[in-house]
Amino acid sequence: MKASIICIGNRFVAGDEAGLLVFDRLQNRPEIPEGITVIEGGLAGLNLLSLLETGGRVVFVDAVKGFKGSSGVVIVEHEEILGSTSQLHFDHGAGLPYLLAVLPRVCDGELPEEIMLVGLEGECTSEMIEHAADISLTVAAHGLKGLT
Amino acid sequence: MVKTAKGINIPLNRAEGDLEIRVEVNNGVVTESWSSGTMFRGFEAMMQGRGALDGLVITPRVCGICSLTHLTAAVEALDAITGIKPPDNARRLRNLALMVETIQSDIRQAVLMFMADFANQNRYHDHPLSEEACNRYSPLTGRAAIEVIRESKRLLQVVAIIGGQWPHTSFMVPGGVTSIPEISKILQCRIIIDRFRTWYERSILGCPIERWQQIESEEDLHGWLLEKESHRESEVGFFLRFARQANLDTFGRGPNRYLSFGNFPLPVETDVQGHDGRMNRAGYASATDVSSFDPEKVTEDLSHSWYEQGSAPAHPFSGRTKPYASGQSGELYSWIKAPRYNGEVVETGPLAEMIIDGNPLFIDMIKQNGPNILVRELARLVRPAHLLQPMSIWVNELLNKREESFYHSVTTIPDGEGAGLIQAARGALGHWLKVEDEKIVHYQIITPSAWNGSPRDASGARGAWEEALIGTPIRDIKNPVEAGHVVRSFDPCLVCAVHCLQKGSSQGILKMGLNR
Repeated sequence: MKASIICIGNRFVAGDEAGLLVFDRLQNRPEIPEGITVIEGGLAGLNLLSLLETGGRVVFVDAVKGFKGSSGVVIVEHEEILGSTSQLHFDHGAGLPYLLAVLPRVCDGELPEEIMLVGLEGECTSEMIEHAADISLTVAAHGLKGLT
Repeated sequence: MVKTAKGINIPLNRAEGDLEIRVEVNNGVVTESWSSGTMFRGFEAMMQGRGALDGLVITPRVCGICSLTHLTAAVEALDAITGIKPPDNARRLRNLALMVETIQSDIRQAVLMFMADFANQNRYHDHPLSEEACNRYSPLTGRAAIEVIRESKRLLQVVAIIGGQWPHTSFMVPGGVTSIPEISKILQCRIIIDRFRTWYERSILGCPIERWQQIESEEDLHGWLLEKESHRESEVGFFLRFARQANLDTFGRGPNRYLSFGNFPLPVETDVQGHDGRMNRAGYASATDVSSFDPEKVTEDLSHSWYEQGSAPAHPFSGRTKPYASGQSGELYSWIKAPRYNGEVVETGPLAEMIIDGNPLFIDMIKQNGPNILVRELARLVRPAHLLQPMSIWVNELLNKREESFYHSVTTIPDGEGAGLIQAARGALGHWLKVEDEKIVHYQIITPSAWNGSPRDASGARGAWEEALIGTPIRDIKNPVEAGHVVRSFDPCLVCAVHCLQKGSSQGILKMGLNR
């Protein structure tokens, strides 16, 4: 199954740059497996919709808060992303839950077969970014089954 | 008996997390207000010492909504330093991309952010159009809300085609653009724009653009509304009917002075009309009295901002951005500086563009009633009607002149200073840049929301939306939708910053009461 790894966040705001640090790390990998595309989603928010209309597996990578008791990498599944906030309305900071909530209503192509988030919680050490990059590639290639 | 609200904090939904509006309410009316940007961003300091071209990559990442807008201002500042004018085809492509970004922002802001408040049942349950407003604008289920997301997404494909990368394209460079689109791609852009126009005319205007442009006065507008059911049922028609019955034409005045940097530099050979080399005129207006724009009259006042204080307001070419949040407790209350034009508070945005461009409808509306929420938001909702026709012209010109140049060679960036002054979706945006030895030695950015959402200046004059809030009636202090309407009519954009997934994420706060 083809897959996209979409790294989101703001590299100019401490605490929100985790996804893009993973993007940078993936860019430096000598080889990304065939069928996996790595995308700098940045702050595009709702403008990422067009990247979610070609089926396959979509793995977001972003900073998270409140999902782990301590620092680390966490996998957040589609339903849990949607349920993480009750604020499902549009604003200039409209986040992932809004994007995914609106997607089925406006999709012009094929919805992704699987959507998940690799979340980085707390202070991002180099090891944690490397770990998140590894996990992102694994779940992009094999889905959650790849982690067992 | 005077009744004063005290210390009540109320969530202002869909405001930015780093914007705090604080107001005093007496007898149900706002009598004082303070607007505070609560996040220091510091891009200006971040740019110093970097390569001269780095602004093309970094500043589009300042904002997720106005990415191309910052790219445009950055490249125009560099164009000014090199002194090399981009070829006509580069102008066309740059303008097209910026127009697409402006249109998607306009319709999303109007329907998803502003008119979403019409579906606020706590406030408008007794409004005669309440049920229909919910059908149109409820988040995720509203008919218009979903249509706007779908159509704006489709329109944005034009940027992906022109820019060759999505998101975060940096296709504009000093001297022109980085690639030449194939004929098939230009044709694809034309189809997308034509389809969008068909939808915009049917759903937003309810009439052809040509019919809308015949409206030259309040009286004409009233006649247009009565003329056809399609006019009344369009988003513009519904907005007018709902807003008038909600009295949104009676408050939210603001300074009644306007600023536009002008926009969309015209190709040398084009059928698009403009003024002084730009499609949208640069200017300043006091009410509807328009005069020319002098960039030397732009200054930044720091007297109420958390920055190291200087002796006097400075022009952005010599301004400083040194954060200093200690002392003077209460007097300093924002990370936003206070931009002023000739020392005056001004409003910028679509309404300013309409007035300065001499649009007869908006000039008549200001003359009849002065500025208010309705006229400010209407200007945004109908601005695409003024952009879609030039877009079609430029796409056709690209098809006919594709063999001509898209780039004039720029090998080095010489020492010098230049400004990129354009109109973003929210108003006047400026990048002021100095380069030495191919390094950035000075970078200042003034955003539209800095103009509109500034704190007070040394004279004590309130910022534009601080001023607009004065006199706002608040029916229910626990649900101050009216204050939200005022601020949102300026389309505040202060962050596009922290947006990580957070369980139970926080909201912007509208503080009401005496305590700042």
